[in-house]
Amino acid sequence: MDVALNVRRFDPEAERPESYYQEFALEVDETATVLDGLIQVREEVDGTLAVRCSCRSAICGSCAMKVNGKGVLGCTTKFIDVMGPDGAAVTVEPAGNMGLIKDLVVEFDAHWDKIKAIEPWLKPSGPAPEAEYLTSDQDMLHLAGVMGCIQSGVCTSECTVLEIDENFLGPAALAKAYRFVADPRDDADVDRLGQLNRYGGIWDCTRCMKCVEACPKDVDPMGRIMAMRELAMVAGYTDNNGASHANAFYDIVKRNGLLNEFWLIMKTFGMFNIPEMLKLAPIGIKAFFRGKMPPITFDKIPEPKSVTRIFEKVEGRNK
Amino acid sequence: MSEPYLSGIIRIMFEHDVLVIGAGLAGMRAALSAAQNGVDVAVVSKVYPVRSHSNAAQGGINAAMADRGDKWEDHAFDTIKGSDYLADQDAVEVMAQEAGAEIIGMEHMGAAFNRGEDGRLGVRNFGGQRDARTFFIADFTGQALLHVLHEQVLKSGVRVYEEWFVTTLVMDDGRCTGAVAMDMRTGELHYMRAKAVIMASGGLGRVFEPSTNALICTGDGIAQAYQAGAGVMDMEMVQYHPTTLKNNGALMSEAARGDGAYLLNSEGERFMERYAPNMMELASRDVVSRAEQTEINEGRSIDGCVLLDARHLGEKFISERLGQIRQLGIDFAGKDLATEPVPIRPGMHYIMGGIKTNVDGLTNIPGLYAAGETACVSVHGGNRLGANSLLDTLVFGRRSGVHASEWVKSQPAAGGDASVEGTENARLQAILDRKDGELFGPVRTALGKTMDKNLAVYRDQAGMEAAWADLLELRKRFEGVVVHDKGRIFNTNLIFTLELGFMLDCAETIIAGALERKESRGAHTRTDIPGRNDAEWLKHIVVTKAPEGQDTPNIEYVPVTITQWEPQERKY
Amino acid sequence: MKYAFYPGCVARGATPELYTSTIAVCEKLGIELETTSMEAASCTGSGVLQEKNQRLGDTLNARNLALGERAELPIMTICSTCQGVMGQAEKRLEDADYRASVNEDLAEEGLQYKGNPGPRHLLWILLEDYGLEKLKAQFIRPLTGLKIAPFYGCYLVRPEDALAFEDNPDRKNSLEIIIEAVGAEVADFPGKTACCGFPILTINQTNSMKMVSNHTLAAKREGATAMVTPCPLCHLNLDGYQPTASKQVGQPIDLPILHLPQLLGLALGIEPEVLRLNKHIVETDKVLSAMALTP
Repeated sequence: MDVALNVRRFDPEAERPESYYQEFALEVDETATVLDGLIQVREEVDGTLAVRCSCRSAICGSCAMKVNGKGVLGCTTKFIDVMGPDGAAVTVEPAGNMGLIKDLVVEFDAHWDKIKAIEPWLKPSGPAPEAEYLTSDQDMLHLAGVMGCIQSGVCTSECTVLEIDENFLGPAALAKAYRFVADPRDDADVDRLGQLNRYGGIWDCTRCMKCVEACPKDVDPMGRIMAMRELAMVAGYTDNNGASHANAFYDIVKRNGLLNEFWLIMKTFGMFNIPEMLKLAPIGIKAFFRGKMPPITFDKIPEPKSVTRIFEKVEGRNK
Repeated sequence: MSEPYLSGIIRIMFEHDVLVIGAGLAGMRAALSAAQNGVDVAVVSKVYPVRSHSNAAQGGINAAMADRGDKWEDHAFDTIKGSDYLADQDAVEVMAQEAGAEIIGMEHMGAAFNRGEDGRLGVRNFGGQRDARTFFIADFTGQALLHVLHEQVLKSGVRVYEEWFVTTLVMDDGRCTGAVAMDMRTGELHYMRAKAVIMASGGLGRVFEPSTNALICTGDGIAQAYQAGAGVMDMEMVQYHPTTLKNNGALMSEAARGDGAYLLNSEGERFMERYAPNMMELASRDVVSRAEQTEINEGRSIDGCVLLDARHLGEKFISERLGQIRQLGIDFAGKDLATEPVPIRPGMHYIMGGIKTNVDGLTNIPGLYAAGETACVSVHGGNRLGANSLLDTLVFGRRSGVHASEWVKSQPAAGGDASVEGTENARLQAILDRKDGELFGPVRTALGKTMDKNLAVYRDQAGMEAAWADLLELRKRFEGVVVHDKGRIFNTNLIFTLELGFMLDCAETIIAGALERKESRGAHTRTDIPGRNDAEWLKHIVVTKAPEGQDTPNIEYVPVTITQWEPQERKY
Repeated sequence: MKYAFYPGCVARGATPELYTSTIAVCEKLGIELETTSMEAASCTGSGVLQEKNQRLGDTLNARNLALGERAELPIMTICSTCQGVMGQAEKRLEDADYRASVNEDLAEEGLQYKGNPGPRHLLWILLEDYGLEKLKAQFIRPLTGLKIAPFYGCYLVRPEDALAFEDNPDRKNSLEIIIEAVGAEVADFPGKTACCGFPILTINQTNSMKMVSNHTLAAKREGATAMVTPCPLCHLNLDGYQPTASKQVGQPIDLPILHLPQLLGLALGIEPEVLRLNKHIVETDKVLSAMALTP
């Protein structure tokens, strides 16, 4: 079938390097992927096109790119799924949130540096047993779900926090951290959680689910981050706004069935945390005069005890 | 003439005791063991380590563990029988004996191997073996091990030159003293001097089209060692994997059959009954591939394929243990393994041959070691068993790391003239300076097609001669290949062109070896000379580069080492 | 047309203008809202409770869904987050075994969730139940000449399977459809499906504000006169904290942020005051004057 690729090009050695789009018309099989198209271009049409790729079957993690604005692996994105009506061109751009080297080749340095920053190796306590560690298959299957990560950087490309803050560890490194935190053979989990309980760590995720949606291997990075938040709180790392917010939210809903934003903020920062309260004050005062301030008295559902009982039942199940 | 390739570059000397080329399992295992031995080790790889092709090994890794009642001798025998008695039995014994320790070592590093009810490591069945001894992590064992080993490399602080492309080995007075490599980010060439080089650059699958192999598997290391004067052995032994997808050649793990999936022909028959009544679908790979090819050739196929049927295993089981290949089937064949049979056919997968080494990874060139698919110890002989390749990388990766690091301690600093940078530069510049011609792509495709046509599951004299003739023609075309990209930064166009040169060299050794072997053994099955001939051909074929002016490479024979298993008729 | 109305917490708390304008718009459209059955419904957990204890979140939502079943009416929500969180719970509760186990904890409350479809957002109901043509016919005051930027809220765009995009492809660009239906032009920008920054407001205010300024300024660059959102949490951040974001980025923004029903209400001819357009932090005058209305 006839397809068209509209590729964002960038030649760092051009006299005045700047990005531009170039269209290629190709004839491909019905089952062809966008990566197949790009390979055809560089092998037969224009050898200057630079794109990383290797396995063509979603295991090496080389071909992260944006197709029609969305972060994907080129090797699992079929033309028939992304081409516009009447064969409108498929737009291919380099992965996001990473510096540009050439065409679709981006700088992965920060991605790897963050992986290294979480000390990604098993830290058992004491000498290893003579044979294997004894552990359950369920635990290993759970780990395998995270170890399926191929470091493609698709989540890095799509992360809405990395877009605005390069200090965020990001979904890939945090998922990798979870792989160790959740490993029954690793004894440094409390220490690891402490390291992640800082600016740039688990609490900076904004829960936008972009990584969950984008991950080509269903690793669910955000879910892993959320799991580590809870584990961090259980481990006693509660002295931060994230944990306070989560706990305050929990308490308010447990008591009232509903959320009250005013109390949520008060409880998150602590009633007497004047500096933080002041940060929110201008909006608070303005909101008050606009008549939008949430009622200070608790908003409750008619029978809040019904919700409290459910909280207690489910809490009981966990014990 | 455009500007010289190396103009204006500040030269930095790169010098290490041991230089490992390739960052797959063999390379990283070698680097770790060498580093533990207290020498300065560096790894150079044309891709980020976790992009290496070890990723693609799906099903598992073999070991006979004594504490589970298995015997290493049984594993060794299955391997030797699988090899059609071409493997060197002393080498197989080493591999089988060290297997358990390597797997436990990987487990201690964090590999999340499947467990049994008792919390101990679980096993699955695999082809060509009488007992279940394949340890696994779902169906991405290679990927899991690769990432775990990479973690250990990060921990060790071993220097990794990522995205550096080796263009040639450097020889000084008969000794290997390092390599010239291009930093792909800058395009600069550097002489990386080393007392010892461990070549662990992987296989050569792309010499065939299609292949299950990644695009990076271009036989660089085999060709570079061959050019440097190393002998390459068993090159005629090319494994066609029984279950690959038609569209893109993607691999459907043997684990599917190991876990109980059937092979059916177009008549719905489990045809392996007629070819291997005892082992059925789990006969060794060469046997299954031949059976499939026969079914296909005799018309009991669907669109050139037979069927892999796993429906009876159930959705939960498939998603837990075969999730990756299930997805591959959905993505690339439009078939869900859990609900419908997936069309598959034999496809080029692995080279049993490679740079000839001893059990410590040493080649015939002092200072040059090799390990993994690049090397030929030979533990796979005429046909590799599934789940022995990962094992090969770890055992012989470790051994070459240990031996090389010990050896360099007694060696003076490597010499070698830094002018090699200039020589390499001039060679590359000449390629860049070509004005008109075709791109590398069509030449590579033509090479792959002729290899797949003439050196596949079934071979004959006429076909192999045709391939040789094509090779000569393609070499001429290669001389005229043009590189569009004249820049330095990430010039993949230049790199692919250089890789094509390596692939042509690899093809030369494969065809030369295949034409030489006048019998049918393992993966080398000749329709014109059926049957194994131990009297004349129970020996390895070693190919070395032809001296200047000679058309065909030199061929030598090396006897097969037999320790305790006399060759017998092979039945599954 | 009659729905059990589930407004969520925020519409009854910090964004009362959303509640009021929804009531006004539905009345005008002849959509009957039954407000008592879902009165006892709780917070969905907003993803926050789920991160602590997913089963707890699912049980609370099973309770809410069971209340909806008891009303024997389809349920309407006006919050992207409620829609998304309940949709995800509903998806997990499709598993009969899990549902039965969760129902055990509802037994004492005299409730049981049978697995019927849960709430749908007003945005979807308009397209799927009311019908676009019928809706368009009601717009007596088209917003011609206005350029409006859509802003969905994460939970109304991800993950797709919990939002049944495959069966309802229009949901993917439902906001654009509505913007065009009211006679305005769409100010398209890539951030429309991104995060507003609200979930990290109390954790990393700097980043949260960067998100606000990035999206609002990007929309303005595309010529937007205003932005519309079906999510009250997004509104809290994009409107309520816009002055803070503006100060942080060091440049004026001043982009009015409308709740979905406010946009509809304007086109339906409802008075701005009834829609509580005077209750925003960022003045909505620009929108009104462009429509020749007085604030």
